[in-house]
Order: sequence, then structure tokens, then C-alpha cells
Amino acid sequence: MTRHISLAGWLGKRAMVTLLVGLSASPIFAEEGVEILRERCAACHTETTTAEESAYFSRISDQRKTPEGWQMTINRMIHLRGIEIPKEEKRSLVQHLADTQGLAPDETEGFRYLLEQDNNRVEAGIDPDLEQMCARCHSAARVGLQRRTEQEWQYLVNFHMGQFPTTELHAMARDREWYRLAHDELAPKLAERYGLKSEAWEEWLSQEKPLLKGSWRVLGFIPGKGEYDGRMTATPDEDGNGFMLQMKGRYADGSPLEGEGHARVFTGYEWRGTLMLGDVEMRQVLAADAEGETLRGRMFLADSRRLGGEMNAYKDHGGAEILGIQPGYLRLGESGEVTLIGQHLSGEVSLGEGVRVEEVLERSDDRIRMRISAAPEVSPGARDVTVGEATGDSILAVYDRLARLEVEPTNALARVGGNGGQLDKMRVAFRAVGYAAGADGEVGTDDDLRLGYMPADWSIIPADEAAAHEQDAEYAGTIDAHGIFTPGDAGPNPERPKSANNVGRLKAVATVDDGADQLSGESRLLVAVQDYVQRVLD
Amino acid sequence: MKHLKSFNKKAVQLQKAVSPEEVEDVVAMQTIVGCTATADPGWEIDAFGGLSSLCQPMESDLYGCADACWWPAQVPDTMSTYPDWGNGVDKANEDWRKIDGIFEDEQ
Repeated sequence: MTRHISLAGWLGKRAMVTLLVGLSASPIFAEEGVEILRERCAACHTETTTAEESAYFSRISDQRKTPEGWQMTINRMIHLRGIEIPKEEKRSLVQHLADTQGLAPDETEGFRYLLEQDNNRVEAGIDPDLEQMCARCHSAARVGLQRRTEQEWQYLVNFHMGQFPTTELHAMARDREWYRLAHDELAPKLAERYGLKSEAWEEWLSQEKPLLKGSWRVLGFIPGKGEYDGRMTATPDEDGNGFMLQMKGRYADGSPLEGEGHARVFTGYEWRGTLMLGDVEMRQVLAADAEGETLRGRMFLADSRRLGGEMNAYKDHGGAEILGIQPGYLRLGESGEVTLIGQHLSGEVSLGEGVRVEEVLERSDDRIRMRISAAPEVSPGARDVTVGEATGDSILAVYDRLARLEVEPTNALARVGGNGGQLDKMRVAFRAVGYAAGADGEVGTDDDLRLGYMPADWSIIPADEAAAHEQDAEYAGTIDAHGIFTPGDAGPNPERPKSANNVGRLKAVATVDDGADQLSGESRLLVAVQDYVQRVLD
Repeated sequence: MKHLKSFNKKAVQLQKAVSPEEVEDVVAMQTIVGCTATADPGWEIDAFGGLSSLCQPMESDLYGCADACWWPAQVPDTMSTYPDWGNGVDKANEDWRKIDGIFEDEQ
């Protein structure tokens, strides 16, 4: 069974409300948003009007959130408080709140992985109090992507106590005065760090928002398909709600990539797209830069949010640019085929010291596919690539020996599913990244030369002796040639002791041939039971 | 711990698990986004970063977790938020296929 819960998909359909995309909080839209608040929310959220704030609603006006954050809030109001709001109005309200009470681009830095559904990671650098008091159940990013007054942070603590009363009885709670610490100490700390008012937000509100229509040169990666490049055209839709999207390009293996869809922009920069690539529904969660020159983020499968990859788009202004090279590495003394990705490329190709073009296999303004070779006895290192006047700084790594292989993500979580149950399996896509030792010749030092993603042979092994004893590698799932891990079936397994589920602790292992040698890297993989509460943001 | 002798296999595993390396593993694994670090017992992993102290199969005690609102981000809490979850499926270990999830957008 397939369920979709992404905001990008939910909001991808056309809404009835007029929004001048790029001009966040336009007067027309703001007025309609306020009307919806009055109509649907004011029964509980009292409206007061002051000279400074033309429409202040209790609780609501003391918070700022991402579009997904507001969607979750409204979902909670529907489910727990019984409000009734038509879908179209709900979309308009999310748009209004994200535009007028959103987060500035800088305020989402460090936590964008949660918006991008790129959750296979250990959250690092989290305040220990926040980690133990909040991130024990859900991500720390969910907290870090909100802004509230101190009283609002305290209300949030109170909500948790009322709604989930055993919170203070859990481990890491019953050993302390959880409520007092949360209410009296953590909430003020959060208000200081993630307070309602900020210079970044004031500045962003007053700033002219980027115009995002037009032609974009895109590069990215889709698990199972590989790296791709192409063009995405964003045309303002008839209703003025967003953009109609057309995407056309090709994967690194030459197969075509083509799709159509729709995108909306929140808070002036938060791009949420949904499109069909062939018969696969995809989501885009991207952030525009302040100038509207780039869109950066992730594109992922609508029905399997963990399966996705980076996506970067560059506005076409008619100028020559080099944007990437696939693959971005070549071994000394060897030749290989690479594709230079850019736009409006003209002129002679130069690949840096000791690297030459043997043959241009295919050339257009956007891409140059060629066979290149590296001399055997030149210095290894990153090379600048130029085509005419355009330069790609350090984009081609020339190396002598593959010294280290890393597997991304380093820590991953899969969940059993299927087997006739209501929840799908949650898969994981792994990639192998190669490194050379760099100038100091030592592996694992700061000057290691990143070569890029490499094709690899994939396998899984038990994480340790205990996992081997439980035969986790036999039951917990399999990994395919693309590095995509599919966990085992849901349900008790009578073949396992105590009919245990097909859970396990594994390592995903990538192996790459490097000349006569083989090099391996591994990642930790936990295969767990189902997540029965599938939120917009974890 | 040094004065206590592990009595059964599980106890041996638990005792062995308390090494600095594995404690480090525990800390790391507990904070993967989407996992709960409430590990008494745990939903994804136990307090030692392993699986041996989890309720297995989880279906055998699923409602014991839901009633107590123990992992509200992973298992619907029937205490206050989703009181009807699991209705009509009395024996989770037999009828687990009928148990649906909470899909927020469908609310």
C-alpha cells in the first residue's frame, strides 16, 4: 500500500487563492489568509488589533514555522481540536502563515535535512538538554525549525504533559524533575536560541524576494537510476499559485529523464515541487538563494521519502557556466569517459595539468561528453576545468591510488514492512565515496582528496558477533547492485527464536576495484520495526 | 557488576554489551532521526544498542506500549491521542496485518 504525506505533494495541486509568487505576503493573499484565520481559528484564538500588528491571534501570532511546521499544526488542530477546514483553505492558510510567520533562510541552516526528508543521519551538535528532553522522541530539527516566545515554548511543554502524560516517566525523565526542568529551564533557553523575533526574519521580510520563473539547468542523483542532468522550466501557472514544471534531461547512462509537475514557493524561497518522472511520482524540497540564482535541496520518491538524492538547479541567464563533471575523478595513467555539465559552453576544453581530451564524443551548449586521459607521472590533485571563458574550480580529481572508501549514509535506519500489512517497507539507498590520500600521503587526514561517488559491489554483513548469532543478515533484508537495501517482511517470523521480527543490526559494505587491489567501506544499518505514526516531519 | 555472575545467556549478553565501544554505539544509534531514544525498553534498539532486550516480536506487546504512551512518535498512543487505534484487532500477534498506521495528511 502506498501513502503520500509530503507537503510538496499535498500542496502541489492548484489552490484557488491568488498568490503573487516571489512576493511573499502579498496584500491580496495576506487579506485572504487573515479572513481564514478569523473564520476557522478565531473561536479559540482571540484576535486583537494593535497599531503595530494589524491582526494578532493569540498563540498563533507568537510562533513562526516552516510550511511543513504549519501544516502539522493545522493537522493537529483538525485531529485533536476538531476544526473543520476545506482542503483549499488549508493550503491557503499554510501559504499565508509560512509567508508571514515563516523562517528566514539562515534560520533553517543546519536543519534542512528534516525538510528534505534526508533523515538517515545522527543529529550532531545538539544541546544535551534539548537532546534528552525533546529529541528523545522526535528529531531535534523539529524543534530547531520553530521560533516562539518564551511563553509559547512553555505552552508547548504543557501541551506535551497534557497530551503525553507518561513523558515524565520515561527513562531520561523519571530521574529528574522533568516538567520543572522543561518548563522553567529549557523553555527560556529555547526562547533565547529560537525566539520569535529575529533580525534575520525582519531582514528577510523586508527584502525583495527572488523571481524563480524561467529555465533552470539541473543536476542531481536518483537512487537506482544514477546521476542525471537536464533542464527544468518553471512557467507561472494560470492561477498564479506557483509554477508548471517541465523537466527534461538524461541519466549518466544515457537513458532519458522526462517529467512534468507543479511547484509552489513559500516564504519567498521554500520551493516545493511534485512531478511525475515516467510513472514515478517525485517530490522536490529546494531552497532558493536570495538572488534567485540557485535552487538547492533534494528530490525523492513520493512513496518512499528516504529514497532520493541531492538536486541543484542553476538559473539560465545566458552566460557560460561549468556546473559539474560526471564522474569527477580519473586515475593517473588511465583514460575514461566523462561528461562535463554546464550551460552555454563554447570554446576550447582545458582539463588542467597532465590531463587531456582524447576525443569529444558528443557536444552541445549544455554538455560535453568526451574521452580523457591522465598522464602517468604528474602530480595528483584537483584540477580546474575550463571551457572557453567558463571555469569549474577543482572539479576533476586526478589520483594515484584509491585510499579510502566511505559509505553514505554512515548511519541508516530501515524498517520492515509489506507482507500483507498496512505499512510499506522503508528502504535505504547507500552510495560509496572514494578518497585519495592527498599530498601528505596519509589516509584519514584533512587533505584527503575527495574523488566522488563511485560504482561499487554491495553486500550486507552482521554488525557484530551478537548480530551474527541472531542471523540478522539472513533475515533482516537484502541489498541490490545499486546499493538499495530492502528490509525484510513485517510480522512475527516463526523461523526466528521467539518468532522475532525480521529486525537486525547490519553493516552495508561497498567494495570497489582499484587496479589490482580491492577497497571496502561500510556503514551501520539498523533494521527496525514499523513506524506507526508517520508525520510530515519526524 | 564484577561481583555478580550472569545467570543466563541474555544476562551474559547484557554484561558484555557494557563496554565503552558499545556504549558509544548506543549513543550514536539512539539519535538517528526517526528513532526514539526511550529505551526502557526501546522501540528500535535497546539501552545497550542491541536488540536482545526489545519486546520481540513487537506485536506480542504492542498495545502495552500504545496504552502507556511509551513511544508516542512511533506508536499511536491510545491513552489520549488515538484512542481508537487498534480497535477490532484484539490479537495483534495474530492479526497484525490489519493494524494501520497514522498518516498525518489523511486526517
